[in-house]
Amino acid sequence: MRPEDRKYTKSHEWVKLDGATMLIGITDFAVNELCSGNEGDLVYCDLPEEGRQLEAGETFGEIESVKAVSDLNTPVAGTVADVNAAIEDHLEILSRDPWKEGWLIRIKPVIKTLDGLMDASEYEELLAQEQH
Amino acid sequence: MTERWRLVRHFGGGPGFHMAADETLLVSGGREPVLRLYTWEPAALSLGYFQRYADVAATAEAEAVVRRITGGGAIHHAHELTFAIAAPDEHPLYRGEVRASYERVHAVIVAALFEVGVEARLRAEAALASDRQETGMCFHESTDLDIAWDGRKGVGSAQRRTAGRVLHHGSIKVGGDALEPGVATVQEGRPGTSPEDLAGVLEECFARLLEVELVPGELTEAERKRAESRAAHFTSREFLHRR
Repeated sequence: MRPEDRKYTKSHEWVKLDGATMLIGITDFAVNELCSGNEGDLVYCDLPEEGRQLEAGETFGEIESVKAVSDLNTPVAGTVADVNAAIEDHLEILSRDPWKEGWLIRIKPVIKTLDGLMDASEYEELLAQEQH
Repeated sequence: MTERWRLVRHFGGGPGFHMAADETLLVSGGREPVLRLYTWEPAALSLGYFQRYADVAATAEAEAVVRRITGGGAIHHAHELTFAIAAPDEHPLYRGEVRASYERVHAVIVAALFEVGVEARLRAEAALASDRQETGMCFHESTDLDIAWDGRKGVGSAQRRTAGRVLHHGSIKVGGDALEPGVATVQEGRPGTSPEDLAGVLEECFARLLEVELVPGELTEAERKRAESRAAHFTSREFLHRR
């Protein structure tokens, strides 16, 4: 079971409330789709500058595996308050710990709500459907 | 009922237009998959999305340079056939892991090469004679999923996944090129083969192996206008030197 302390998107990002801000990352499923368990297959990640304002659904960065470039999208609108700079040089963190150490950006949200996003059990159901 | 795909042939298009057309089909190509086959006029070097311009020495020798929206190394698009497939990410060709989708696409390419007399296969674990250090060129690096023959890489491809859609485009080397020495070419196995010849065989293999009907046509009016309006972006100084 994935962590129940956060919400999930159909495009395999997670969002977690953390005080007045929200942490955003990508799920283990997203990481595995990109690199099939070979952490060395993740090669680049571009993350935004602090202070950038994002709309809900907007692309805030990109991640490249050996074979594909994928967008990173924010499910919530807000201002980028912090960026996990360690990720850009140590992409293996995403394979090792996508839930804690592998957060990507911290957002100060326009509205502090995660309504409309999936909880862990709903996300598990989505994955079960995608795998059939 | 046989699935229908759109088939678009663009032989001799400009470098900026080609990249803009691929981007357009990625973001707004519709639910029906599109197979686009093309060649380049003039020949051009394409940089991978994340490459540093200064890291690719061949940029100084190329007649034209563009940057792709896909990753990987640089490719000199000269004597080659380029293919692009755009479809939703839930399409059976693309569903699941990136790796599995490569295997499905590359199975068709390998079959087409076999049809023209080239015994190509996935590289698997063998190192290739075409691998070279630090040129920044796609064909001088290889993974186990790359297509090779005669111990050298002959096809380079990459994917972009955005907003529930996937673009897979790739380059099949038909003839040799001074900017990419040492790579495998179709003409070594079957002299006289042209990119257009190969395109016909590839179309037949896509239709037969994926059990789809390819319906020849052009970009829609909206797609063409979008691609034309975006073409200059891919050769702009700002985009070329983004890294």
